[in-house]
Amino acid sequence: MITAGIDIGSVATKAVILSGHFILATEVMPSGSQPKLTAERALAKSLQTAKMERNQLEYLVSTGYGRRVVDFGDKNITEISACAQGIRFLKAPMGQIMTVIDLGGQDIKVISLDERGEVRDFVMNDKCAAGTGRFMEVIARALELRLEELGTYSKLSKKRIDINATCTVFAESEVVSLLAQDVGKEDIIAGIHRSIAERIATMGKKIGLKEVVAFTGGGAKNKGFCQILEEELGLTLHIPKIPQFVNALGAAVAAKAKK
Amino acid sequence: MKTDFEKRYQRAPLHRPAEKVSARVRAASEDLAARLHKQPDRLVSLPYYEELFTTEKRKKELQILNRKVVGTYCYFAPEELIYASGDVPIRLCSGHSDTITTAEELLPRDICPLVKSSFGFPILGDGWIDACDVIALPTSCDAKTKLGEYLADYLPVWMINLPKIKNYDGLKEYWLKEIKLFLHKLEELNGKKVKAPELKNALQLLKRRAELYRAMYELRLAHPLLLSHQDLLMVVQSSFYDDLPRWINQTELLYNEMKKASATGKYAAKGKRLMITGAPIIWPNFKILNIITELGSTVVADDMCAGHQRLWDYAEPDEWTLEGMLEAVAARYIFPSVCPCFTTSYDRIDKILHLAREAKVDGVIYHDLRLCQIFDMEKDLVVKVLKENQIPVITLHTDYGQEDVEQLRTRIEAFLEMIL
Repeated sequence: MITAGIDIGSVATKAVILSGHFILATEVMPSGSQPKLTAERALAKSLQTAKMERNQLEYLVSTGYGRRVVDFGDKNITEISACAQGIRFLKAPMGQIMTVIDLGGQDIKVISLDERGEVRDFVMNDKCAAGTGRFMEVIARALELRLEELGTYSKLSKKRIDINATCTVFAESEVVSLLAQDVGKEDIIAGIHRSIAERIATMGKKIGLKEVVAFTGGGAKNKGFCQILEEELGLTLHIPKIPQFVNALGAAVAAKAKK
Repeated sequence: MKTDFEKRYQRAPLHRPAEKVSARVRAASEDLAARLHKQPDRLVSLPYYEELFTTEKRKKELQILNRKVVGTYCYFAPEELIYASGDVPIRLCSGHSDTITTAEELLPRDICPLVKSSFGFPILGDGWIDACDVIALPTSCDAKTKLGEYLADYLPVWMINLPKIKNYDGLKEYWLKEIKLFLHKLEELNGKKVKAPELKNALQLLKRRAELYRAMYELRLAHPLLLSHQDLLMVVQSSFYDDLPRWINQTELLYNEMKKASATGKYAAKGKRLMITGAPIIWPNFKILNIITELGSTVVADDMCAGHQRLWDYAEPDEWTLEGMLEAVAARYIFPSVCPCFTTSYDRIDKILHLAREAKVDGVIYHDLRLCQIFDMEKDLVVKVLKENQIPVITLHTDYGQEDVEQLRTRIEAFLEMIL
């Protein structure tokens, strides 16, 4: 059975084609201003990679903020359920995953799972973007770096800098002040990463970080951040090979139930 | 007339009439009324209440009747005494987001949206405050306490000093005195004393209102969609403005229609049964309720001061002396209240558990208004106790703006998926 999952996030749109237990294709592109069009393009491109036609797809589930704009899908579910199903599908060598931290474009979620891998409880940041992927983007821009470079720089940090501002706008001003004081980019980035990690740790403590803890979402691609988050939480995180696609994958898994 | 604010330092009242803002305020009410109008199988007695939000008829009537109007805030301004004096209470707590920017010209940005929203109206020269002669403002929270200083630029303000700790001695010691002081101010305003039979009449009328509401509420528990929760709040909140006897008559008609309609069996709850606790949801800020409806679930209960709490309680009119009745009124505002402005919150938690069990809810939504610290600070224990009692709960931290509707939808939808 061939199914597809599309995750229309605030920053990136992800598509996954699934054939039973096998992932046939993954596709990611910026969501842009026309999420519906982007979703169609991501699906077409992933079908192309999987060497499939649209009519071979038996069921399509959408998720993410834009889930409701996908009118060519069969169903939509929230990214919280999708995340749980995706992580259940991927499994971890370290044992059963009981908690998922998901760092997306405009959300941080900590999801607590039960023994069956179903959502037991979850917490999310409110509408403020502090500590989200969008926050990392703003900081990268202030430092004239690409988002992907943050991790590498962060690992080079030698000196601990504490960033106090948690608001995206104020944090950007703080970064500008630190640059004016000739503080190294790598130390600033590590400081920013630590402030995000602290925020996530507080959210995690609220709900309980039962191990094994997985870390997913675009934020998990930033290895420098992963390292700091592990230090902050005092545990080893399970990071799937395709962290950004877990929700899209979960949607494709949900599609297998065909209802 | 003396007010609570000595005229030693004065600030000229800020007037910024803005037809554009006023038009947006009207449109917000009209849009919500139109939306409610479209609900399937809606009872025919309901459009009556919409008019209190979408037209100025009642305001005009108040001007023609030439009765003194006491603008009130919160749950604690004693309606009984206002009615006994022959005056009309109008509750000024607002749910409009469009007046907030107007209010921010004077008020700080980082205070609760309810206070900012309400204060936008005197600046605009719009809304119910226009019809008021005086304002009665309980010191229930910090923002409301300081709001009086701003409102005093426009109208005489009577602050009502509300105790923070619920205990019987304190009640006798000064809350009863505060109630008597309030009565005295009303008597001064009207130039006549309130007599025991007048207060007794007012208590009886308010008891009738409570009994009617209780009957409606209990009928609705079995057939929740007789009134969507939006409609229920509309009915409750229309009583902030309407003439009390007329409201009771209309609501008797509504109740009779509900009884008849319940026999059709069409009005069972859809989806999950939910309860809302927390900060007030006031017309037209019904975004959370609208999302829940769109997601196919039903709110069956709430404990809000502009909802269930508003009409459920009353002071028993079985006392014969003025003193006895005043004591009953004093007690009625303190002990049954679940406002987090009191410490401790234990009886609020008892009440939430009771309501949740009685309404057989599948989950509770904790509505947290941004910058309303007291609800926010009580949340932790409430959430803990609910979870210990196997009642799923989610917190929604939001304000009056519409910009987070999609984020809220995701949270609520995920919560509904979780409690499947």
